[in-house]
Amino acid sequence: MNLTKDRFGGLLFLLLSVTYGYYAADIPLLPGDRFEPFHAQTLPYWLSGLGIIFSVLLIGLKSDLSSENDVISNSNLLLMLGLMAFTFAFSVALPWLGFPITTSIFLASSYWLLGERRLKMLLFASVPFALVFWLLLTQVLDVYIAPARFIFW
Amino acid sequence: MFEGVFTGLATALMPFNLLMVVVGCFAGTFIGMLPGLGPISAVALMIPITYTLDPSSGIILMVGVYYGAVFGGSTSSILINAPGCASTLVTTFDGYPLAQKNQAGKALALAAYSSFCGGTVGAIILIFAAPALASVSLSFQSSDYFALMLLGLTSVAAFSGKGQVIKAMMMTVFGLMIATVGNDVITGAPRYTFGQMDLVDGISFLLLAMATFALAEVMMTIMRGKMFSTSETMQPVALSSMKLSMDEVKEVAPTVARSSVFGFIVGVLPGAGATIASFLAYGLERNLAPERLRKMFGKGALRGLAAPESANNAASTGSFVPLLTLGIPGSGTTAIMLGALIAYGIQPGPRLYVDHPDVFWSVIISMYFGNLVLLVLNLPLIPYISRLLAIPPQILNPLIIFFSIIGVYLVSFNTFDIQMMVFITLMAVGLKMLNFPMAPMLLGFILGGMLEKNLSRALVVSDGSFDFLWNRPLTFSTMCITVTILLLPWLLRLGKQLTTKQLPAAD
Repeated sequence: MNLTKDRFGGLLFLLLSVTYGYYAADIPLLPGDRFEPFHAQTLPYWLSGLGIIFSVLLIGLKSDLSSENDVISNSNLLLMLGLMAFTFAFSVALPWLGFPITTSIFLASSYWLLGERRLKMLLFASVPFALVFWLLLTQVLDVYIAPARFIFW
Repeated sequence: MFEGVFTGLATALMPFNLLMVVVGCFAGTFIGMLPGLGPISAVALMIPITYTLDPSSGIILMVGVYYGAVFGGSTSSILINAPGCASTLVTTFDGYPLAQKNQAGKALALAAYSSFCGGTVGAIILIFAAPALASVSLSFQSSDYFALMLLGLTSVAAFSGKGQVIKAMMMTVFGLMIATVGNDVITGAPRYTFGQMDLVDGISFLLLAMATFALAEVMMTIMRGKMFSTSETMQPVALSSMKLSMDEVKEVAPTVARSSVFGFIVGVLPGAGATIASFLAYGLERNLAPERLRKMFGKGALRGLAAPESANNAASTGSFVPLLTLGIPGSGTTAIMLGALIAYGIQPGPRLYVDHPDVFWSVIISMYFGNLVLLVLNLPLIPYISRLLAIPPQILNPLIIFFSIIGVYLVSFNTFDIQMMVFITLMAVGLKMLNFPMAPMLLGFILGGMLEKNLSRALVVSDGSFDFLWNRPLTFSTMCITVTILLLPWLLRLGKQLTTKQLPAAD
């Protein structure tokens, strides 16, 4: 039995369903709930069971090998991971550096990561964009955006 | 009914709502034109904006975006052979060959006219079909709703294509699992929160939609390396005259009429949607065409372009029938709209027709206006809108990522949501790489809460017995259809295997 994409996906789902079912026992119930026909744990247990059945079916059934040809290069995978890392960093930096600075850095670094090397383009497509967008939100649409925490240091 | 139509007409004709239709159609065309971003992503990107509007205007904007995105998808299919969404994939079969024959203008015009006719036929049928179904569904009980939701979830999985049924079922279950995160809707007990206060309210629908569609689609485009080829090899071809001759109109008129009605019927079926409608309409027209014209299919046949375009627009309209009348979305896009309506405090379903006639009718009427806007305003502007394809992808993709994350952040003002988005996007990308479909997950997530509430009610009423599944004729017949749909792919495969085994034996 080859470990195809389908079977690998099935194994992952099996693991997820078992873990999901295991943690269903941790859901607190109200006194007397256990004797009710339906309580907070009922659906999670059923879903866990269904998940296990479908996973086993996917692992056991003949796999379609025609779906195996989605070629993704390592460099593109790294690009994607890099962008996700930048997005995560954006969320961490936002309260500290404030909206305009964080957005400018995020956009400029993402452009650079995806291959834009012209300094003018890096700056013009990020800093003015971030400032205009911030002004639009705060001054035109009257949306409150907390100022950077470093200002209060 | 006519009172409701006039209420809807008055709401839809309000200058602000007309503006929303125009803005929605333009925004949708822009987004839909970008390869990889389809109507689901376009509508998801609009949700944060609609939260600042009243329900009617918000939904009208989304409907405009939906139509615009389908139209934009057709434009990129014809001009650069890159469908913006799955439902316009068939458009590339004959649309791009026409563009290569220096008839891109004609192809775009035909696509727009066919879409307009499809949308118009769909809207007219919807005006009569939706209230009829809504008045019948007022007598539905919780057991009927449970059965109908099960039917909706199963249909999405069953129509998901060869070898994808189990995966789609798994994703539906996964969506239902995600819906259980947060405080239980009935008892208030925390479920799967792991002590995190940020998870007490559950995972936001907007966050999930943005992460699994908008962000994950951009990431997949980057990973497949398509963003590097867009600017270099996929240059839009030059536009030519947009006029159609009388003979050409006569040739495609029956095709458009047939495909519109056919597309609407397919669109009404929960889970079938515009993609299946366009493929089936194309196949139907090829079979009906005379031998001389059949050979032209795939090489720039006008009928081959008109059929999928009429069908996908009519099906887009048809998919609103289960949403507006039963509260069950028929496609991924309508699933997102369902989530948006619920966020407004409006419960789609039979009561929508009674409680919010302005929303119900203005949505239906604005669909028609949307079609008009696409034909009158968007079509002449296509040469200018298509310049969007010239924006370097290394600039465009980070901007889409930024709009996705900031859209979610501006609703909750909680940076934890962005971190959650990163986690869900990575998970969605992994699942996409393993060829798992995303739409069933979103549908499972949206219907999860309602499904649990109705199941709980039905079980409590029947004192814990499952006889509610066969006590009411409606519940029983819906359950029978569900089981049939679930078993149909396997039965068909079994039948095919038996036939192929018998054939050599007969030889």
